[in-house]
Amino acid sequence: MQETNISTKNFEQCQKCSLCETVCPVMANNPKYGGPKRSGPDGERYRLKNGIFFDDSLKYCLNCKRCEVACPSGVKIADLIQQARIDFGHKAPKLRDVMLASTDQVGPLASAFAPLANFALGLSPVKGLMDLTIGVDKHRTLPKYSAETFVHWYKKNAEGSQNKFKKQISYYHGCYANYNYPQLGKDFVAVMNAFGIGVQLIEGERCCGVAKIANGMIPAATRDAKTNVDAFYRSVKEGRDIVTVSTTCTLTLLEEYPELLKVDNSLVKDHISLVEQFLYKGIASGELKPVWKEGWKARAAYHCPCHQERLGWGIFTTELLRMIPGMELVELESNCCGIAGTYGFKKENYKVSQKIGKPLFDNIAAVAPEFVACECETCKWQIEMSTGVSVKNPVSILAEALDLEKTAELNCR
Amino acid sequence: MKFDVIIIGGGLAGMTAATELQKSGLKCAVVAEGLSLHNTSRKEFAEAGGTLLAGDRVVSGKLSSGKLLSVRTEKLGDVELEAADFVLASGKYFSRGIVADMDKVYEPLFGLDVEYDADRSAWFDASFAAPQKFLEFGVKICNCHALKDGEEIINLFPAGEVLAGISCAQGDATDRIRSSAMDAVSAIRRK
Repeated sequence: MQETNISTKNFEQCQKCSLCETVCPVMANNPKYGGPKRSGPDGERYRLKNGIFFDDSLKYCLNCKRCEVACPSGVKIADLIQQARIDFGHKAPKLRDVMLASTDQVGPLASAFAPLANFALGLSPVKGLMDLTIGVDKHRTLPKYSAETFVHWYKKNAEGSQNKFKKQISYYHGCYANYNYPQLGKDFVAVMNAFGIGVQLIEGERCCGVAKIANGMIPAATRDAKTNVDAFYRSVKEGRDIVTVSTTCTLTLLEEYPELLKVDNSLVKDHISLVEQFLYKGIASGELKPVWKEGWKARAAYHCPCHQERLGWGIFTTELLRMIPGMELVELESNCCGIAGTYGFKKENYKVSQKIGKPLFDNIAAVAPEFVACECETCKWQIEMSTGVSVKNPVSILAEALDLEKTAELNCR
Repeated sequence: MKFDVIIIGGGLAGMTAATELQKSGLKCAVVAEGLSLHNTSRKEFAEAGGTLLAGDRVVSGKLSSGKLLSVRTEKLGDVELEAADFVLASGKYFSRGIVADMDKVYEPLFGLDVEYDADRSAWFDASFAAPQKFLEFGVKICNCHALKDGEEIINLFPAGEVLAGISCAQGDATDRIRSSAMDAVSAIRRK
């Protein structure tokens, strides 16, 4: 970038080439959306003059950030759009949006009554009622809640044995591994422990806040962000880096905190890594030594989530998975699955969401893999619901493919 | 991370070279800032098993006694990309493969030797429709190799618009860009 550029989020660098529009999944499927160029840098020129030029159609942006990956001039198009929504979209969030976004308030409640909640949320009359009253689309399969949270399991089964390891990390599990799918957290602990690394929880961990940002709950998201950054700082000071499992949480912690919430994360930023990146670097440098199960075989298709695409770290996952001797990995074409967190749950977005995902679903059907490998939890819901093919997190694949005992023997000596 | 060839830039020249090299059995990675490549060429390259680092850009390289050893990208941080050969297909002014200051024209990544007119007033013609000289400025090559301070870098092959003498304003630009990419491919295959 030229040194004299002082425009926010690089918007003056926009050359109007429209490449962003060719990759926008919403623009291709929803005529009500003006597209990234118009909503982002073009609209910004007017909004700078006067906020009355704010256009409500910006809510259709699903913040996949594919426009930013495509931009040859480094304009932070999606950030411009989110920032405009924060600054000018002053409508109070609806009850539904608050419910969908408050993952760490709804989570404990739903987990406490998990069997009842899962049963009720699977009934068509209940789904029909939710569709009519609050606008959660009835066609959508709602995420299941786990009766035992990951944190509860960890304190009971894992906490006591962690201090014996020389190397220690802090695990940012996020809401999904905690309330919806604790098995992911268990797999994470198993893999780390096998490599001789102790796993500690982050005291005071909060939701990363991405769903709150998307639903206009900025003060709540900012509070969570500050609490998290303080907690990360304490962990870093005690010598433990932070390892995450969710691509979207990671992008939020690294980029959205300073860009959108104005929460300074500079002291902890370089100490946060995604688990696939962490393991790839460790194994490639020879520091971590894997022993693979003999005869383990799988044919998997890799779907790179939009936010992983934006981080530019998909290569860590593919290189890591290709280290497994019995792995035949097919990389799917780069497409958005359409769910975009809470976006696809909303009645007004359901159809568009499924249309956006169609090329990906067709691609998966053509490849016909045993399972899809993907780092993102909401992609998992969308792909499993729409294709019937199961989706596994790379960490869970490693937990299956590694000979955990022999790996532990080799790494804990 | 190790590859046989790393291609810097994913435009016409970069994708042509990358796909050809990948198909001849070399393990290639393209670092493509922005989506400058057409979907079809991207698909063809991916189907041949090539690695695409989309939305990333090379920020520095490690040069040692006339050879480029590795490059670093913005997003991969301290993970270096190593290769036996490199193709520089970073384009001209729009993609910042070549940068023009008030008084000089330079190649920003490696500081390669660039051909340009020292007299700034000769860079352009005031008549809009006239051929513009600045569009033909670009890096110099010798035996397909890039030059730095007059010395050849024996495993760095510039191709496409980054080269002196090639510009998108020429009527046969597509042919020239493709053929410069094929020159780089042949030079790498000959090694």
